Amino acid sequence: MKFGQAMLAVAAATAMQFSASPAAFATGKMKCDAGPQSSWKSRTDLEAKLKKDGWTIKKSKVDGGCYEVYGVTPEGQNVEAYFHPVTMEKLLVSQRGKVIFKK
Amino acid sequence: MLRLINVHGFFWLLLAIPAIGMTIGFVRDPVTAFDLIHPSGEFSVRFMIIAMMLSPLRAIFGRQRWLDWLLARRRALGVAACGYGLLHLAFYLYDMGDWGMIAEEALIFSIWTGYAALLIFVAMGVTSNNASQRAMRANWKRLQRLVYPAAVLIALHWFYVDGEYMGMLVHFVPLLVLETARVILMFKRRSARRDTGIATG
Repeated sequence: MKFGQAMLAVAAATAMQFSASPAAFATGKMKCDAGPQSSWKSRTDLEAKLKKDGWTIKKSKVDGGCYEVYGVTPEGQNVEAYFHPVTMEKLLVSQRGKVIFKK
Repeated sequence: MLRLINVHGFFWLLLAIPAIGMTIGFVRDPVTAFDLIHPSGEFSVRFMIIAMMLSPLRAIFGRQRWLDWLLARRRALGVAACGYGLLHLAFYLYDMGDWGMIAEEALIFSIWTGYAALLIFVAMGVTSNNASQRAMRANWKRLQRLVYPAAVLIALHWFYVDGEYMGMLVHFVPLLVLETARVILMFKRRSARRDTGIATG
């Protein structure tokens, strides 16, 4: 019983230690030093530009000071892409965890 | 009224609540399929892990009322894991929307590990009934033991698809700790029996 209690305590402690629960989506892959948000281009502008280039956008958000976009590339790949919020430069593209582009 | 909690059907219903919520959300707005892929997968793995924790907990704590209660419902947990896995696949396929793209992605490591795990889950799920147990006999238990390679595949799938390890670790480390404890206990008990001259087995 003592051993059992100890093991349960270890399991609970381990679980709690990792309880910095991450967001539901794979995120935090990129950090941008882009300055104040007031100088950022708008996210909708980025989406519009990408759509014109042939992307399908599912969702976009701010992550690590960059714009993170979930969508389908013109080549038909389902990706998660990071863009610089001022230069709109493509920084990282990953398809289901596999990095297919890195600046 | 409290007796209701013990009724098996009630437990099945409890397990189904997240699925009902997700399905309603999807029907209202199919675009949310994308956002539902991750949570449906998480529920699948959660129920699998809870089901897997029961044997090591039993080995560590011996007979306990709460353990017996959960063990009696382990089949429901396993079938729920399978069900949420299928829901996870359904949201994924709907979101992809194109068979060409689906086939292309299926070759990616982070994706085929998911398919492989789900295949195991489906095999286990459809045989999760008394008739199958009777028909398969010893092979039934062998099939159920495939949950271990399935768990490894899922850990890999989750880790590689997300590209980061936190979520996966939070869920798998407690199970790993318990399984390690169970194995240690098993060896301790075996050597204790040997020392006292009691036949092992």
